[in-house]
Parts: sequence; C-alpha cells; structure tokens
Amino acid sequence: MKRWLYQHRYALGVALRRLGKQPFSSLCNILVISLSLAVPIVVSSILDTAKPVLRQIPVSAEITLYLDRNAPAGEARRLGARLKQEHRDEIEAVEVVDRDTAWKDLRRRPAWAEALAVLPDNPLPDAVVLTLMQDSDIANTTQRLSLEWQTLDHVDSVQVDSAWVQRLQSMLDFLSVGLWMLALGVALVVLATVFNTVRLQALTQREEIAVARLVGATESFVRRPFLYLGALTGLISCVLATGAAWLALHPLNIAVSRLAQSYGTRLSLELPDTLSLVLAGIVVAILGALSARWSVTRNTRF
Amino acid sequence: MIEFQHVFKSYGRGRNILADINFRIQPGEFVFVSGPSGAGKSTLLKLIGGLEPPSRGSIYINGHRSDKMSARARPYLRRAVGVILQDAHLLYDRNAIQNVLLPLAVTGLAPGQALSRARAAMEKVGLSGKEDLNPIEMSGGEQQRLAIARAIVNRPSILIADEPTANLDEDSARRIMDVFRDFNRVGVTTLIASHDRGLMATYTRRTMRIDAGRFSDTQETP
Repeated sequence: MKRWLYQHRYALGVALRRLGKQPFSSLCNILVISLSLAVPIVVSSILDTAKPVLRQIPVSAEITLYLDRNAPAGEARRLGARLKQEHRDEIEAVEVVDRDTAWKDLRRRPAWAEALAVLPDNPLPDAVVLTLMQDSDIANTTQRLSLEWQTLDHVDSVQVDSAWVQRLQSMLDFLSVGLWMLALGVALVVLATVFNTVRLQALTQREEIAVARLVGATESFVRRPFLYLGALTGLISCVLATGAAWLALHPLNIAVSRLAQSYGTRLSLELPDTLSLVLAGIVVAILGALSARWSVTRNTRF
Repeated sequence: MIEFQHVFKSYGRGRNILADINFRIQPGEFVFVSGPSGAGKSTLLKLIGGLEPPSRGSIYINGHRSDKMSARARPYLRRAVGVILQDAHLLYDRNAIQNVLLPLAVTGLAPGQALSRARAAMEKVGLSGKEDLNPIEMSGGEQQRLAIARAIVNRPSILIADEPTANLDEDSARRIMDVFRDFNRVGVTTLIASHDRGLMATYTRRTMRIDAGRFSDTQETP
C-alpha cells in the first residue's frame, strides 16, 4: 500500500513538473478549457436564479371570455356555470364579472374616472374569468380550450391571461436543454484539449518513457503521470472557470438588478451552489484523466 | 540462470539475426559475448533483458520462461535484469542522482530509502560527489558509470551490458570493467557484449562467440 502511495506521489510530482516546464503552453490549454467551462456555469447561474423567481409568479392559467354586448342578461353567469359543468376536470374556478360591476370598479379609479365621464354609456362587456387546473400540459390545454370557446355563442373574444408565464417557462425549459447540450460541447472541448496536450507530452517524453520501461516500469507507471496531468488540467480549469464566471456575473448583476428594480423587486445572479461546483470539478477532472489515458495509450506504442 | 533453447530471432520476413541459439549461463558467471559488428550480440542481450521477444524458441531467466510472459509480467522480469546499452540512455532533464532514482521510483521505494540507496549505487561506481551534476556535464566514462549505477540500484541478479566501453579511453574502460567485476564478485551474473579482445583477455572466464547469428564457439578462460 505504501509503495502504491509513493508511486502516486511520484506521478503527481512528475505531472506538476511537466505542467510547470511549459508554463505558456499549459496556461493556454487551461485557459481554453476554463473559458469553455465558464459559459455553462454562467448559464446555469442564470437558470438557477430565474427558476425560483418564476415559481413565485402565479402561473395558473386564466382564460377570460368577453361576451358581445348584445348577449342576453345573465348569459355570462349561465355560460360560466355550463363551462364549469362540462370541464370540471380542467377548470378550477369560475368568476363572472358583469359589465355594470366592472364599470363601477373602473370609475372608482381616479386615473380613469375623468376619461370614462365623457362616455355616453358603459362600453364594457360581461366577462367570465376561468382559472384552469395546473397540469403538466397546461400550455396545450389552455390553447385547446381558448380555441374551442372562441366559437361559443355570444362570445366576442377570448384572452389567455397567463400565456407570457407559460412562454417564459418554455423558454427556460429550452435553456435547460441548451445547457445540457452546452455541457456536452464543453466535455468534448475538455476531451480534445487534454488528448492533444497529452499526445504532445508523450512525444516530448519519449526518451523518459523508453528508459522507464527499460528499468522495469509497468504501463500503469508510465501512464499515471499523464492521468494526473489530465486530471490536474481539468481541475485547475474548473477553478479558473468558476472565478471567470464569478467575475462575469458582476456586470450581469448590475443589469439584472436594474431590471428587477423597475418591477419593484430585487434579483441577483448567484453562482451554482458549492456542491454542484465541486461535482463539476470532479467530473471535469475525471474527463481529463480519461482523455489522457486514451491519448497516452494511443501515443506511447513504441 | 539464463538459458536459451533453440532461439531464433528475425524481424518481419527478413533473415534470421539469431539462428538456433542454445546456451546456459549459471548464476554468478561472468561471460563475454564477442563477435563482429552486426553479428547479433545486441539482439541477444535484448532478448535476455526482455526488451524484445524471440521469433522462436524458449528463453529461461531465473527459472521463468520469459518468452511466454504476459505483457503485465514482463516489467517485473526487467527489474531482475540490469541493462546497460551502448548509448547510456540517460535523461538530461534531471541531475545524476535523479537518473539513478528512476528505477527505485518504479518499484515504489520510500523516498528516503531510495535516496540513500541511489547514493550508495553512485558511490559503488565511483561517482560520489557528482550527484547534482547533469549527465551532460559528465565525461563519456562517467555517463557510462552512471548508467551502470542506474542498472544496479535495484539490485538485479543479472547484469547485461552492450559494448559498455565503446568510445572510451583505456583508463575509463578499465574502470568500467572493474565495476562489472566487483558486482560479479558479489554474485551478480554478468554478461557483456564486446568486440574488444584485449578486454576479454583481461577479465573474462568464459567467452561466447557469435557470428552471423550463430554461435561459432564457446571458450573457457581459466
């Protein structure tokens, strides 16, 4: 066990020495990987911040049916009751807003009172506000019902009140998928960069590898420093990427807080939690080591 | 013990570099392999060191059949055989003692023990005080002795050397040969490929002559 540990210590030392021996080249490789990694970290930060905010917004979809002005009195109430009966699995609540109540409400508001005073009579229609039940297919349900209700007798227009939330949710879902694809792309960048670094290192260290084999080194012994090199490159890149993402979030936060203030709220982008960052570092280090192993196995057959 | 039984070696479909080689070297023997350039001496040593496999035949090293060994097991055989090639194959990106430390790192010896053993190996070959020199700062003879220190630091039971005194002046060559003789005296089986007849006459007890890939005679010297 002790011998095994000494061999690992030796391999780690060799890997660090090789990294330090070509500082510019090593730094360039690390920068390429870290900048590639910083992008998904920033996107992840944006998503992590946006999702809880979205959850706080009432996302229950509401459909408002505006009746035509010639609809018989009491039609709104009858229609509301009928729709509640026919779609009891899909409708959570029905509210009927008759045109007189709406007119009174509106006139009570000082901003509107003066403008409404010049109108000869009440221009508002009766309205039925239907709150839909939440389900995973809420967007499709909303669309289907709004199209269906558009054709009902005495219905003049249909308005979907929560469509923007649904659209935002869809956009975030799209970004989440995009983040995974971005992560896949970054994984390929890590694999390719480490593969090429190790290939060049293996060619440079040809003599050392030959001598090590001459004195009885196993292939594991020959490969080990390269695996450490790959893992270290990945790990250092991940730390730098976190730093770069942290720096990038500063100007983004200034813009976001300005936007949030205009909506009377506070919002700031935060880096993903420590556990996620540590896990990302481990995954990138493992990817680096795997790529290094693949490269060293291919490039030390002499 | 080293034993060859009907060993052939060729590269690709080319002619046999070695053809039907049979011999046995007992533990602790000091043997020269002589012959002209291109006779197959280096190839013979590479087969003993497990650096190359034979095309046919059986090779036994310390009782183990090396030609049938798996790729995983072969490095452990190499640790039992110290190899010194004509070109010392030293690493010039590190100092002398670090060159000697490499075989000990391979075995995973504790750093402290490794350092004292490497120092002892350098002392045995007469390189005390030159631990911190880069091999490039050393003379040809010193580089060859450094290669010997690296070969013996793992205490191999067999030592093989390919033309270790080539390109060295007489004094340096004698010092190198004295080092080999000293190791042989403590029981290390020593096999040296050389075409220097004067050297063989001075040191050897047994000479195996090889010519065009075949043994032409075996001569015992008292």
